[in-house]
Amino acid sequence: MIAGVSTEFIPPGPQSFETPPIFSGVEWFTKPVLVATLSVIVIIWFFYGASRKAAVVPGKLQFAGELGYNFVRNSIARDAIGSKDYMKYVPYLCGLFFFILLNNVAATIPLIQFPTFSHIGWAYVAAIMSWVIYNAVGIKKKGLWGYFKHQTMPAGVPLWLMPLMIPIEFISNILVRPISLSLRLFANMFAGHILLLVFVLGGEYMILHSGSIAIGGVGIVTLLMALAIAGLELFVQCIQAYIFVVLTAQYIGSAIADEH
Amino acid sequence: MSQQSDPKPTPNTSGDGWRVLSYLIGGILIYGGIGFGLDRWLGTQFLLPVGIVIGAGLTILMLHFRYGRS
Repeated sequence: MIAGVSTEFIPPGPQSFETPPIFSGVEWFTKPVLVATLSVIVIIWFFYGASRKAAVVPGKLQFAGELGYNFVRNSIARDAIGSKDYMKYVPYLCGLFFFILLNNVAATIPLIQFPTFSHIGWAYVAAIMSWVIYNAVGIKKKGLWGYFKHQTMPAGVPLWLMPLMIPIEFISNILVRPISLSLRLFANMFAGHILLLVFVLGGEYMILHSGSIAIGGVGIVTLLMALAIAGLELFVQCIQAYIFVVLTAQYIGSAIADEH
Repeated sequence: MSQQSDPKPTPNTSGDGWRVLSYLIGGILIYGGIGFGLDRWLGTQFLLPVGIVIGAGLTILMLHFRYGRS
């Protein structure tokens, strides 16, 4: 116990993510809803502005918009789905990528600083949407039974091993995929945010409330660490948006693939 | 930006690791689950770990057939 400690340090926990309504009376309008709404407005403004005055020689905004769009189109959608029928899915993948990206990066933007997907419901909905889409396009292409066979018969496995492999393939393709998609995104955002809270609140507490110069010095180091972690988190936020969309594209690609 | 002018795409394999992980989880879940169910049914205690090991082994075998040969 440190002498001079007047108030107990309350560590951040799941309760740090309980967001009260912004206006009293409007129960559903909480911080994640606000951040998601803002992100949609920013995305619409950005792409509308980028494509409104589309010219052969692009301006700055158009160039940035095309850079982002081409990144999703070429290095995610085309490479994962194949150059024959990837264009159909580019709008969904592009929208999904920038929605997740902006909502993740919102955890780093000053004054907003809240990752929408640290509330698991958002991650569930995003994963269910991708799950419905890749199953639907697979069923549409191959028929219900054909798609079922396609998703449960692993390629290259000798026939006598098939009965043992079919349950694994089914469980991992139909059940584990949406769960792992949503949990990966949620857990990364939740853990990153709570890690930052621990360092920032802990550093603040050590500097202001410990009453000891030595511990205050440690608090300054802690705040510097928080800065480094914020940089790491920015990287994680981008990677998570990327991996979510890459996996969605790969699932779509494997659902409509001809050969197996 | 027509589709014909696109250069030949290289397959994007950056998600393969995560797909392998979901296979491993799936294999352990299903065979561990079968072992757990048999344990409850027969009143034994050793079938859950046996099922988990079998599931993990079968999944690795399948990953070998699927990714290891290309």
